[in-house]
Amino acid sequence: MRRLLAAVVAFVLASPVLAQNRDQLTIDLPADVATMDPQIQWDTDSATVYRNLFDNLLTRDKTGKIIPQVATSWRFENDTTVVFDLRTDILFHDGSKLTPEDVVFSVKRITNPAFRSPQLSQFDQIIGAEVTGPAQVTLKTKSPYPVLLAQLVKLSIIPKAYVEKVGDVAFNQAVIGSGPYKLASWQRGVQTNLVANETYWRGKPAFSRVTFRAVPDSATRIADLKTGRADITRGLSPDDAVNLRSEKGLDVRDVATERVAYMFINTLHGPTTDKRVRQAIAMAVDRDTLITALQQGYAKPVDVVLAPTNFGYTSEVKGWPYDPDKARKLIKEAGAEGAVIPFLTSPVYDRRLNEAVQQMLADVGLKVSITVVDQPTYLKRRLGTPEEASSLSQGRWSCGCLDADGVIFPLFRSGSVWSKFANPAFDAEVDAARATLDEGARRAHYKKAFEIMREEVPALGLFQDEAIFLVRKDIDWTPTPDEAFFVFDMKTKS
Amino acid sequence: MTRHLAGRIGQALLASFGVLTIVFFVMRLSGDPTLLLVPEGASAEQIAQLRHQLGFDRPVPVQFLAYLGDLVRLDFGESLVQRAPVLGILAERIPYTVALASGALLVAWGVGLPAGIAMAVWRDRWIARLLQALVLAGQSLPTFWSGILLILLFGVTLRWLPTSGVDGPLSLVLPSLALGAVTMSSFARMTRSAVLDELGRDYVNAARARGLSRSSAVARHVLRNAAIPVVTIAALEIGNLLAGAVIVETVFAWPGIGQLAIQSIQSRDFLVVQAVVLFVSLVYVACNLLADLAYAAIDPRIRMRA
Amino acid sequence: MKSVPIAIWVVLSVLALFVLAAVLAPELAPFDPLRQSLLLRLKPPGTVLGGRSFLLGTDDLGRDLLSRVLFGARVSLLVAAVAVVLSLVVGTALGLAAGWFRGWTAVVIMRSVDTMLSIPAILLAVLTVAVLGPGFLNLVVVLGLTRWPRYTRVAYGQTLQVAALPYIRAAEMAGCSSFRLLWRHVLPNIAGPLLVVATAEFGLMILFEAGLSFLGLGIQPPAPSWGAIMSAGRAYVERAWWLTVFPGACLFAVVLCVNMAGDWLRDRIDPRSVSR
Repeated sequence: MRRLLAAVVAFVLASPVLAQNRDQLTIDLPADVATMDPQIQWDTDSATVYRNLFDNLLTRDKTGKIIPQVATSWRFENDTTVVFDLRTDILFHDGSKLTPEDVVFSVKRITNPAFRSPQLSQFDQIIGAEVTGPAQVTLKTKSPYPVLLAQLVKLSIIPKAYVEKVGDVAFNQAVIGSGPYKLASWQRGVQTNLVANETYWRGKPAFSRVTFRAVPDSATRIADLKTGRADITRGLSPDDAVNLRSEKGLDVRDVATERVAYMFINTLHGPTTDKRVRQAIAMAVDRDTLITALQQGYAKPVDVVLAPTNFGYTSEVKGWPYDPDKARKLIKEAGAEGAVIPFLTSPVYDRRLNEAVQQMLADVGLKVSITVVDQPTYLKRRLGTPEEASSLSQGRWSCGCLDADGVIFPLFRSGSVWSKFANPAFDAEVDAARATLDEGARRAHYKKAFEIMREEVPALGLFQDEAIFLVRKDIDWTPTPDEAFFVFDMKTKS
Repeated sequence: MTRHLAGRIGQALLASFGVLTIVFFVMRLSGDPTLLLVPEGASAEQIAQLRHQLGFDRPVPVQFLAYLGDLVRLDFGESLVQRAPVLGILAERIPYTVALASGALLVAWGVGLPAGIAMAVWRDRWIARLLQALVLAGQSLPTFWSGILLILLFGVTLRWLPTSGVDGPLSLVLPSLALGAVTMSSFARMTRSAVLDELGRDYVNAARARGLSRSSAVARHVLRNAAIPVVTIAALEIGNLLAGAVIVETVFAWPGIGQLAIQSIQSRDFLVVQAVVLFVSLVYVACNLLADLAYAAIDPRIRMRA
Repeated sequence: MKSVPIAIWVVLSVLALFVLAAVLAPELAPFDPLRQSLLLRLKPPGTVLGGRSFLLGTDDLGRDLLSRVLFGARVSLLVAAVAVVLSLVVGTALGLAAGWFRGWTAVVIMRSVDTMLSIPAILLAVLTVAVLGPGFLNLVVVLGLTRWPRYTRVAYGQTLQVAALPYIRAAEMAGCSSFRLLWRHVLPNIAGPLLVVATAEFGLMILFEAGLSFLGLGIQPPAPSWGAIMSAGRAYVERAWWLTVFPGACLFAVVLCVNMAGDWLRDRIDPRSVSR
């Protein structure tokens, strides 16, 4: 009952936040936070908000290199054991100290199957976490896990005593972390209000209040920025970006992310089982026109299914040239003229890209028929048997780990639910790449893997996605490739 | 009378139970949210493990019985996506839909009632025809189209009103207009028809014969009697309003339960969907019941037939 | 035929025009509605480029809007018509059965009607689409499935009344088969009010299909339907207003005409019936 009353009062009193106040920041996001508990939902809009409330074990600097945060240093005792030394001067928002017990608790909670964390698969290689000193923890992995540190960048440290006292549900409602901002209030579906943590160990945050508003319509988000109701928004479309470049007082800031846009091609079922058809498809797609016309240049072409920001990327493996005549020849050779190619997709993916590709393939003699289902159904089919998965799909993949292991392993290694590709040589390469910590060896393995992919074409790499932000001109902040949104790194230009 | 009432309530509850069952099974037929909850690179075993943790690998009838068992204890469960009690989520969002529905009803009554009366009282003049056209227009407008046009006109071009979302009481204006337009037509027609009926009655002619002017007759007697069927229609319209709210809430990003329902269906957040559907159908059914009872109260013939 | 007011002639002609446009769309459309020109995206109405004239402008993939609107008319009108026929047939059959045989048949059928009417139609549609998937056929099934109770209610009430008529009872006692009676005597008598419902429903079905396509659950791209065009155009509502205005205006015009015709029909056949 109280919640009802509070919501009504909040609604009546909700007033436009005065974004002109330089001490406050308002950010418009496409959706509300799903969970404030950092160990549950991992979608961009939730992480954008809650990463400001917590400190993580490790973090990345502006160049993407992994640097200390809660952990000051680390060393590998052997291939499967890592020892972390921790800071001793961090306090949670309720005043209690951040201790190694909290770190171990955070690891154990997220890797506990009974907790049902959707993020479990990113951390389940960790089989042991122990306090091994007054400011030290040791983590053990199942086998050598080269992506461990990258995954730990996403582990937020939560207060053991508080969580155990109030329970998971209450914690989600009123989180406490050690980050630069504290949760002031969360009106579900509407907005989240944060206040600065004055005693934050890295220093006092530049903005005393931050408000994240849920505004699904992109036209409205842009209007909010134009009228000064909001200061920053994300998720601008390339068309909008072009239009707003000349807007006074606002900056369009884009960054090439680790997300790669690609076209999945089913090698195990349908007309695309013939390698010639797949290679023809690769030659029929005019990637450059897609980038110019649809992305307005806000995309960088890639020849492999990996964005350059990821470890393991190579520019030495070239893609197929755009050659519709050769494509037609190959299709005739394969006897696939007029073949019906089912294309499965969902509203999550850019439909213009789907339809443009459909047209391009029609021009070389392949009849693409697009089926749009909702996201859960799409995943069910795409992750199902090769028969269910259709011949083509659009994909936008980011592992959040800046490593090829998080991209081409789940996508193409046989046995993975996403993979409709069974190539033993490829499997051997990606398996080897994941079993060693030697960077040189890993790169060599990935190069070989990409060469196999070029020949077999289980997918077509299209471009590296860009994240486009609209920012008030006087806010000093540059977006980073990992799409991190740390308000602590923002300040107004003086 | 009480037996009749008890019978109708029983039927109403049965209908709601039927709705719940249908929705439960239909949702389960469409799959489960496990695939939406796992991160991109999860393996088949990890997916199966999470599915087992969440209980979706049990046979559907077993899940249904478990759900019923929880319902009996008034345990509506926890949202998988938001990890919060379903009742809490609903309690937070329902006020927004109530506000929207109230705003729409205000528009519908405020415009529809006078229009209907005018159309009846002045039915031979040109004004009645004009109003009739407007009322018809209101009924024919697709809500999402009028919604977008309203946003374009008042929000973007004139900048008078907020374009979407909840931004203070002014943000209720556009969504209420969009939602109220269709109901307004119903009210206008119903009022016109009810007033016309009354105007034709003997007591009105008798009053006029006694020297009462037409407008006084209308004001004093007709409106009061016409109010009864109009009020009963209002009860039925609330159900339609809730249905229309789904689209309006989507167009205007209004965080009510209509938007919640669509989002929850799209994320297969079963328990939330079921709770919303249950709530809406109970409201619907309650409104129908009220309308029926009101009718029965006025018209004794209906009481006998039931 | 009694005097038909001019207004109704106008309305019926407009409807006929739309139907004609829909039927003749392949001949009338200047371009292939699916033909993209990635370099001609979002051009305003009246653009003439390279000898090609885009009367209503182009959409976000450079497709001619006029052609898409013409073909969209086919979809919108066809889906609504089929859905109405489907729910009319199913709903009437059930209502007849309930009203004629009464007893348990009536109880089961009418309770189902109550249940179906308690779910907001759009939620049921969204749910069913989630299961069946979107597309033309499934859309028609969904629309047919959600609307039959309205016909059943009317058919039930009317059948009860007609069944009580003396000559029907006499025929029944004389040994006339139920089917024959229902088909030749009851059905013609109840057809009037049912037709009124059907006309009102036709307008509603057009709006419904547009609404579902707008939400992304109806006709799938690249096939055009007025609702789908508006849904895609929503992201460009400021810069490319024509993508929202023209299909919406068509929608509005058709539904308005249908409603006006339906009102007139109702006044002729059954002036006492409630308008909704």
